[in-house]
Amino acid sequence: MTVIEVENLRYRYPQQAEPALDGVSFSVQQGEFIGIIGPNRSGKSTLCQALVGLVPHFYKGAIGGKVMVAGLDVHQHQVWEVCQRVGLVFQSPFTQMSGAKFTVYDEVAFGLENQGVARDEMVRRIERVLRLLGLWEYRDRNPFALSGGQMQRLAIASVLALEPEVLVLDEPTSQLDPAGTSEVFAAVSDLCRQGMTVVMAEHKVDRIAARADRVLVLHEGKSIAFGPPRQVFAREDLPALGVAIPPVTEVCRRLGWQLPDGTYPVTVAEAVQMGGAARGNHNS
Amino acid sequence: MRLSLYVPGNSWVHRLDPLTKLIMAVVAVILVFVLPGYWASAALLAVSLGVLASGGVLRRSVPVFLGVSLIAITFFVVQGLVYPGNQHPALTLGPVTFYQEGLLLGLKLSLRLYNILAATLVLILLTNPSDLVESLVRRGVPSRFGYVVVAVLQMIPNMAATTGTIMDAQRSRGMETEGSLWTRMRAFIPLMGPLVTSSLIATEERALALEVRGFSGNRKPTFLHEEVIPPYAWAVRALYLAALILAIAGRWIG
Repeated sequence: MTVIEVENLRYRYPQQAEPALDGVSFSVQQGEFIGIIGPNRSGKSTLCQALVGLVPHFYKGAIGGKVMVAGLDVHQHQVWEVCQRVGLVFQSPFTQMSGAKFTVYDEVAFGLENQGVARDEMVRRIERVLRLLGLWEYRDRNPFALSGGQMQRLAIASVLALEPEVLVLDEPTSQLDPAGTSEVFAAVSDLCRQGMTVVMAEHKVDRIAARADRVLVLHEGKSIAFGPPRQVFAREDLPALGVAIPPVTEVCRRLGWQLPDGTYPVTVAEAVQMGGAARGNHNS
Repeated sequence: MRLSLYVPGNSWVHRLDPLTKLIMAVVAVILVFVLPGYWASAALLAVSLGVLASGGVLRRSVPVFLGVSLIAITFFVVQGLVYPGNQHPALTLGPVTFYQEGLLLGLKLSLRLYNILAATLVLILLTNPSDLVESLVRRGVPSRFGYVVVAVLQMIPNMAATTGTIMDAQRSRGMETEGSLWTRMRAFIPLMGPLVTSSLIATEERALALEVRGFSGNRKPTFLHEEVIPPYAWAVRALYLAALILAIAGRWIG
């Protein structure tokens, strides 16, 4: 089932000459984990915000093309309507805290209260998402007293409590340390395994290569590649465009460790397997 | 972590719902201006102090009362010396004479001052501000207004923490932040620049984050916490409102 359908999306921020998105098209199936990568200012955040309607409804500006997410035409619906079906998690854990709640438990309730969810339903959902993201034991803490990774997981929990069909994350680990990053990736992969559709913009390409089903590469607002990580990272032109590729892929390319289908390993595990095989051949 | 003088506790005043405490404070402040004479004012003050004491915050309010005593003393001195209605000398200290009429006016003004203060402290020290705001939002106050009030309570301490970080950063790069007034004023600009910029960026990000959590939706909001109004709250409300009505009626007839 197709959950996200983006057709020829073009967008220009107000008072900007260059378009931020320039003819982006792709579609996503239910339960897929899509990674969006690309250099800074390539349109990753803009695309994430376009999936929930913040672009164009919040920023205004000129938009063209079509965005269908979870059966809603995003351009024809208000942000709060779209957000009942699509959750968006931002970069900074700190600014995602509502600031109006004094405990982790109440913070999750903020969005539910706004949506008018009944109290017993709220209690059920809050417990579910807090346990899901391993925050149940911190439920009485002040949100601002959490670590970065915990705060970001709280942001994810708060969005998940709204029970969206699609979860969009805009560089959710860029302000986290490696441990926090692992926490977030593990949580998101778990969700994906449970059938959630995930779209994540991210700079940490090695993590994306390991987890994502497909990778969308953006460059100057255009989509220049969309496919399984191995195929995408096998492209010769990415480094020249400033698109980072996993270090392990780079190394395998230099070593000439090519897989039978012409691609290179994108994870250390794949490379180790490959290397083992290569050494085996050498010895025989 | 928060900008509030609320003292948590479990006294009967704490357990009262915020709206009742708001009624208590508002009625007491109105009574200050309606009640005639000194004895009634003093009785009202005694009631407010009694509420503060049974809430366990009398000691917390002493510094406030002492701080304000400076104003009260000013009332006595100024009115006692120069009140136009002064006729009967009451006390002579060297060259200055205090008059009876002026001192009584000073007493009246001081009683008013302390009455207003004590009534407000019931609200400030014994009411959780976010509960108060929530109970107002339940009764139709726009939730945007409620959000702003509560968020400010939490955001200002956070901004203070940011200010500390920026100050440390600037200091570590050799900026002088201590010393003469002129040095401090010069340090102000490199401090305000990053603070204002980072606050503006944070504000936009937070606005986006609120938006995706349905903040500007048109649904009727629900509340996680049930509002608990203890039965005796109705008695307290009735008592205060009855006192108000009696005082107004007395004033009107008398």
